[in-house]
This record gives sequence, C-alpha cells and structure tokens, in this order.
Amino acid sequence: MKKIALKGITAAVALAFAAGGALAQEKTIKIAGFGAKSGVVRSFGINSEAAMLAAADQINKAGGVALADGSKAKIKIDYYDDRCTAEEGISVARRMAGTDALVGVGPTCSNVAEPLFGILQKKAGDASDSGLQFPIFSDVAIKGGLARISEWSFRNVPNEMTMYSSMFYWLKQKHPEMKTVFGGVEEDFAHSRATWYVVMKDRAAANGYTIAGETKWLLADTNFATQVREMKKANADVVAISAHPFSTCGVLKEMQRQGVKPKLLVGLTSTSSLETMQGCAKQAEGMMIPTSFAPVNKEGKAAADATAKFKGSADLHSMAAWENMFILKQVMESEKISGNPKDVQADRRKIRDGLAKLKVTKGLLGDTKRTEDREADKPYLFVQAKGGNWVVLHNPL
Amino acid sequence: MDFYFGLAQIIGVHTLLGLSAYIVLLTGQVSMAQAGFFAVGAYAAGMLTVLAGWAILPALAASSLLGAAVACAVGFPALRVKGLMLVIATLAFGEAVRLFFFNFDYQVARGGVKLGPLGGEGFRQIRYFPENGWTTMQVMLFIWIFVVLVMAILWWLDRSRYGAVLRAVGEDELAAQSVGINLTAVKVSAMTIGGAIAGLGGGIYAHYTTHIEHASFGILLATFALAYPILGGLGSVFGTVVAAIFVQGFLVEGLRFLGDWRNLLFGALIVLAMNLRPKGFLDAPTLRWIRRVFGGKRGAA
Amino acid sequence: MLDFIQSLSDGVLFGATYALIGIGFTLVFGVMHKLNLSYAAASVGGAYCGLLVLKVFAGAPPLAVFFCAFLAGGLLGYIVYLACFHFIPISNPLATLMATVGMLLLVDEVIVHQTDGMPLNYPALFDDVMLRAGEFTLRGDLLMVFVVSILCMAGLLALLYRTRLGLATRAVSQQAVAAQLCGIRVGQVNAMTFVITGLLGGIAGAMIGASVGTLSPLLTTPLTIKGLIVTVIGGLGSIPGAIVAGLLVGGFESVLQQYRGVTERDLYVMLLLFVFLVFRPGGLFAPKEGRD
Repeated sequence: MKKIALKGITAAVALAFAAGGALAQEKTIKIAGFGAKSGVVRSFGINSEAAMLAAADQINKAGGVALADGSKAKIKIDYYDDRCTAEEGISVARRMAGTDALVGVGPTCSNVAEPLFGILQKKAGDASDSGLQFPIFSDVAIKGGLARISEWSFRNVPNEMTMYSSMFYWLKQKHPEMKTVFGGVEEDFAHSRATWYVVMKDRAAANGYTIAGETKWLLADTNFATQVREMKKANADVVAISAHPFSTCGVLKEMQRQGVKPKLLVGLTSTSSLETMQGCAKQAEGMMIPTSFAPVNKEGKAAADATAKFKGSADLHSMAAWENMFILKQVMESEKISGNPKDVQADRRKIRDGLAKLKVTKGLLGDTKRTEDREADKPYLFVQAKGGNWVVLHNPL
Repeated sequence: MDFYFGLAQIIGVHTLLGLSAYIVLLTGQVSMAQAGFFAVGAYAAGMLTVLAGWAILPALAASSLLGAAVACAVGFPALRVKGLMLVIATLAFGEAVRLFFFNFDYQVARGGVKLGPLGGEGFRQIRYFPENGWTTMQVMLFIWIFVVLVMAILWWLDRSRYGAVLRAVGEDELAAQSVGINLTAVKVSAMTIGGAIAGLGGGIYAHYTTHIEHASFGILLATFALAYPILGGLGSVFGTVVAAIFVQGFLVEGLRFLGDWRNLLFGALIVLAMNLRPKGFLDAPTLRWIRRVFGGKRGAA
Repeated sequence: MLDFIQSLSDGVLFGATYALIGIGFTLVFGVMHKLNLSYAAASVGGAYCGLLVLKVFAGAPPLAVFFCAFLAGGLLGYIVYLACFHFIPISNPLATLMATVGMLLLVDEVIVHQTDGMPLNYPALFDDVMLRAGEFTLRGDLLMVFVVSILCMAGLLALLYRTRLGLATRAVSQQAVAAQLCGIRVGQVNAMTFVITGLLGGIAGAMIGASVGTLSPLLTTPLTIKGLIVTVIGGLGSIPGAIVAGLLVGGFESVLQQYRGVTERDLYVMLLLFVFLVFRPGGLFAPKEGRD
C-alpha cells in the first residue's frame, strides 16, 4: 500500500517537473476578457468568462496558437469585472493595456462600451491622437453603431436591424392576417430604447405593418397598469416588447391580469436568455425573438456543453465571446504575431489590422459577414418560448 | 504606468466631488444634490468643447460658474428645511436634474455625424484630451492641479474667520445665530462654493469618460459625494482625499485580486470603517498626531 | 374621466407597498432619530430569503413564503442594528448614515451573488382575481397588500400604545436620557425597534414581490427613494402619515404617468416633492415638537 502511494507521489512529482519544464519553454498569449460580474447583469459576465475559458481550453488542447517563428503558444484568459460603470470600464481598459494582453474581449454594457471606445484612438496610427491603442472585440454590448467610434473597436454582436427586418418579413408571409403592431419600450436603457425606435418600429412599418401605438416604462418600474391599459385599447395583433427581462416580466404579468392576449408577442434579443424563464416562464409562453445563437447544430451543442463545464450558460451573448476566441486565433495566425513580450504593441496593431481585414468569419450558426464599420452581420434564427425553454421556431437561412 | 495615471485621474475627479460635499457638510447640511451640480458641469463643459469648440480651460470655468449659479439658486429655498427633510429635498432636486438630462436633446451635425446630448442615449465623443494629443500623465497632472488648487483654497478658508463661522453653524445653529451670524448667507455661500467645485469636477469628468449619460449621475454618485468627506473625516480637507483613495484606489481597484469577493467586501468594508472610525479616517486625535509628527512648531495650532 | 379614476385607483393601491416601506423608515427615525438607508434593501433581502422555503419544499404555499420572509426580515433587522448602530456612538449620525449605505450595497451584492442578478418569480395570493365594474378594474392582489398594510399599521399602533415594550419605545423616542434614568434599557429598546421594523420589512418585501410578480435587486434603490419620500411627506415619525403619504405618492405617480408620460413622470414627482418640502417642511402630519 505504502509502496503504491510512494510510487504515485514520485510519478506526480516527476509529472509536475515535466509539466513545469514544458511550461517554461512554452509561450503564452494573454487575452483579456472584461464585463459585468456585479450587479443585476452579473450573469452576463459569468457566461462570457465561462465561454472564453472553454474556448481557450479547446484551442490549447488542440495545440494552441501558431506564432510567426513556427512555435506554438497557449492562450491564457484574464477576466476583469467592470461593474457595468463607465469609470471602472476605463480603468480596466488601461489596466489591460498595461499588461501584456494582446486584445480585450468585452464589455457587457453598452454604457461601458461608449466611453471605452471613446478613449481609444479614433483613427489607427494617427500620431496626433493620444487615445489608447488597444484592440477591443466586443461580445455583448449591443447598442447600434458603437464600433464606429474608434478604429480599434470591433464587435461581433448581432445586427438587430437585419434580424428584426427578416423576422417581420417572415411574419408577414406566414401570418398575413396580422396587421398591427404595438410597441412597449424600456425608455431609460440605451439598448432597448434604440431597438424600438430605430429598429423594430421602422422594420415593422417597412414590412407593411401599421403601428397601433407605443407605450413606455423605465428599467426599474414595478407598476405597469397604465401602460398595459394603453396596450389593451390599441388591441394590436402583435405586441413588441423592447425591454430587459425584469420589466418584460412585470409587463407580461400585468398583461395576464388585464387579459391582454395579442396574437403574437415579440421580444428584445437579450431577453432570449435564462433570465426571462426564471422570472416569468408561464407568461412569456409564445414570445418570439430573433437571436444569433441556439444550440441547433453539432458545433453549437458542443460549445454549449463546453461552456457548461465552466459553469456558464450558452446564449447569444456568451457564444459571441466563444466565437471571438476562435476568430482571434485565426487572426493571430494569419497575421503572424510574434508573441514575444517585447513586441506587444506591434502584435496588438497586427491583430487590429487583421480584424479590420476580415470579410467573413466562422460562427456557430454559419458564416458571419464583417462590415466596413467593424460590425458583424451574423446569421440568426427565430426562437420562441415554449414550456420554460427557448425552442427554435424558424431558421431563415 | 498609464493605468496608475488613469487611476489618479479618477481619484482626482472623485476628490473634487467629495470636496464639494465637504464644504456643505461643514455647515451641518447633508446635501444629496451634489451629483446634480456635477451633471450640470459635465453637460455644460462637454457641450462647450464639443459643440462650441471652446478650449478646455474656459469650458471648465464656465461649467464651474454654472454649477455655482445652480447651487446658489437651489440654496435659498432648500435651506428652509433641515435634517432629513433637507436630505430628501436636495435628493429630489438632484434627481430632477438627472431626469432633465434624460429628456434633454440638443444635437448638431458636425462633419456628417450628429453630436451632442441625446436624451437617454447620452452624449458621446467628448474627446478634447485625446484629440489634442494629451497623454494620460498630462491629463492626470492637469486634473491634480485643480484638485490641489481647490484643496488649498478650502484649507485656507478653513483657517480663516469664514471657516470658523461655517463650523460654528455646523456645531449649533441656534448658538451661531445668537452671536449674530447670518445663517442664510453662510449656508447659501457654502452651497454655492460646493456647487462651483462640483461643476468643475463634472466638467473634468465628462472629458475623462468621453461619454456621459443621465444614469451616471444618479443617487449612487450623490451618496458617494457624501461618503468621501464622511469616511475621511470632517476635520480636514485631506480626509476627503484619503477617502477617495481608499474607495477608488483600494476598494475598487486594489481589491481586484480577490475576484468575486471584491464586490461583497465593498459594502462590508464601508460598514467596518464606520464602526472603527466613526469620526472618519482623519479624526481629531489623528490630525493632532499628524501635526505633532510633521508640523513641528505648528503642533499647538 | 374613467381613465383618471382608473389610474388613480391603480396608483393608490400600488402605493400600499410604498406605505409599508415608509412605515419602517418612519419608525426607526421616530425612535432613534436616525436614518436607516439599508431598510428597503434588507426588506427585499427578507423577501428573497422567503423563497428559500420553495427550495426546501417545492410547492409550498405562498403564505409559507411570506412567513419565512417575515422572520428573515426580523433577523436582517437585528443584523443591521448590530452592524450599523450598536457600536457607533450616538453622537455620530453621519457615521451611522454611511454605515447603512455600506449595508445597502452589501445586501444588494449578496443577493446578486446568490441569484446572479437574475429576476426571480415570486408567488402571490389572489393574483388571478380581478374585480370588475364595467371597464373599471381593481387588482385582487393589490387589495390584499392594501389590507395587509392596514393590519400592519393597526398591529404596530397596538404594540406601541398597548404594551410595555411600546411604552418603553415611546419613552426612548421622546427623551432617551430620561428614559434611561427611569430604568429603561435604551440599547435593548433600540434593538427591538430594529427587529420589529425588520419583521415589518420582511412582510413589505414579500408583498412587493407578490404585487410585482418578480424580485430583482433592481428594486432596492427605487424603493429606498420611495420610502424616504413617503417618510418625509407623511411627517417624520408619524405612522398614519406614512400610510397616507404612501397612497398619495402612488396615486400621484400613476396620474402623472397617465397625462405626462413616463419620461417626465419622475421629473414632476421630484419637483413637486421639492416644492412641497420647501413650503411645508414638517410634512403632512408633522409631530408637535421635534427634537431635530
């Protein structure tokens, strides 16, 4: 017995030395993740971090990233919490830029992305602009048109314009009897607000729907009686709710009380997550949402399973973080980064230029087109709430 | 290194915010309106540099004056009320300012892009510093020149007759009034100075973050404005700086290595600090000790 | 006109939840002359604790959840007392104020860590009951909240005016030193006040959860503000004042929303509050002679 234990220890020690030796020779490449891990958006940060760790794990197991000198490097993830505040987001960005991280993936909140992209250099290589020179590849912050702010900012977030356009088009074909749309919007949150006024309202009208009216509430509101009464009066066929899960649930519950039953409910992209199901699965039944991820194919399921091992759940946001990792690996290899600590700034520039060059990237649902202003045009599908889960309703591609 | 310069910038901005509440607290008034004055300064300075093309210094001067004017105008009616009522009245005013900016649209097309505040979506691209090639260190020094200046003025005020009057009102209004101190003049002037400092801080803040929106100027910011002087102690202006370093440097950035525990400890350590140092970090005995050690002959003062 | 009556009645009924929170604020203020800013957060925390019952016994009735929230609220009240009031000298009102802010942040973050910040479904009683008179409707669950808050007030007043504990509490609130000289243990009375308001807060949290239908840490800040507003409008330390003010604030909010829209609603509420305080600094039911 003792002998076996002794053997085991010797083996373990030997292995540890071997591993240590191997590590000493092995290069690592740091990728920094950041997002909210505090406050009401904590689940976003947890999921993104898990997806990044899972993706890095998979890349490392397959050998790692090939560098310019032909050697291979392993990816290491550092994840920072920005508490969803502008100031901490900026601090985190400066902190990341101060380490040898080559690129940042994040943030969760659009109100962090705005100032963060603002402190980046507006035009890459513009010597008169003292902004930060650090590439950022966003996974979650979804408010429209943000990447335009700086040439160092890139995003792999769904294009709501395309998704809602396609969804209203499909609805019109499938259910020609539905004619009117009523909108409910969470007015004090930049993303939900923009999605209704700029995207949903416009796209519904463009596809031949009559806008029967709109009503507004605030993120932390608790009483929706007045708004739902307006909704009831409008008696529209489709009710589109552009709000985050907490107030979406509040409104849905009030709709149930007042007996408002539209023919179809449409929701905000970010609502197609676990949160809504925890808050009000029963009332959300039948809600339809376009999303850029659902575990419909082999890759998607594998990514979701891998993320689950790191205690995160796979949704459209966290899976964007997953995709970003593989896109970054591809860019690092095609741009031949050196991976030496002394070349950090040059490597960052290479990654930026590489990302800017991309025309098409691989995503979990299929190919993603990259646009001129550093945004993504991701494939998508329509999901619907059924029995406490999001199930795929239609795949338009 | 840039990271530390950036951190010093935040600490500087928050020190200004704290100092704006400090002078008001000296008169015994708990004002939750400082975040409102800060917001006024931020929007004013941002609009002046981005839309009107002003340089940073005149823009900050204007934002500071505007902050002072608003504070003065609020001071007269608000100081009719005392204690908790004042807390709520100023809170209501601060929130009203925030909600004003929530409803405030003023956009101008510049080079094909629309710039300026847009209600709930905020005001982006306030990039005076990077556009003019200021390095992080230069911005940091710029901010701290103001912080030191404001601290010097407050420190000097504190030692003047005016400071004694402020503290007299803070200690006991009735007694102060009975020796002929004009309560309204004292309180409103303290509020006005606080408004000027908050307006200045807000103007710098807007250029520090490059993007401002109504949600940044809520109750939480107003609470922190009060937290700095209270945590630091009302005995000296240096308490506020120490507290800003404690909160921004230690609780927010310094504890990052603790991962998830950082957020939990944030509140818990504030509770602990208040239990251990109810009069603030720099309370009277500590200040005496510091003066004895560093002040030499002035120890008796 | 129907719109007006409907939104007024919706708002007034919903105001019952504000009133419940306001009572807690006003009681602590009345007894200790100090502000407990963590009260609304602790109340929501109590409501979250109520949900633990469902984890242990899936399918437990809502009443069991409410009861558990009630008990947890009392415990949290005692913890808040120990953390923010017991050890800090009475002459430092600012220190206790800041300590309760720290407590608010702590409670919020503990909730976030336990739930990842996700909203949770909250059980309700009578949530499927809608009283109708033509177009006019009244929510059954809000009527229940309304009745509960009236019962709480009655219970509280009975406690304050019919028991020895209530006598001691009132004595401390009028003159702490004199009460101590009469042999009342001031510390114990203060602690009891916190436990009682905590119990009340637990109920309030549960009722709010039930009437909103979901719980989220997002609720704590708005509730804190509403609670404070209700306290000052009602008059510091006045329990019936808090109830009337709660209903009033709820009604005002709802009517303004109906006519001015949600973006301007809060703006007008805040401006009205400012004007109200400036012209009537004592609140609706001002106490006869304040120490403050």
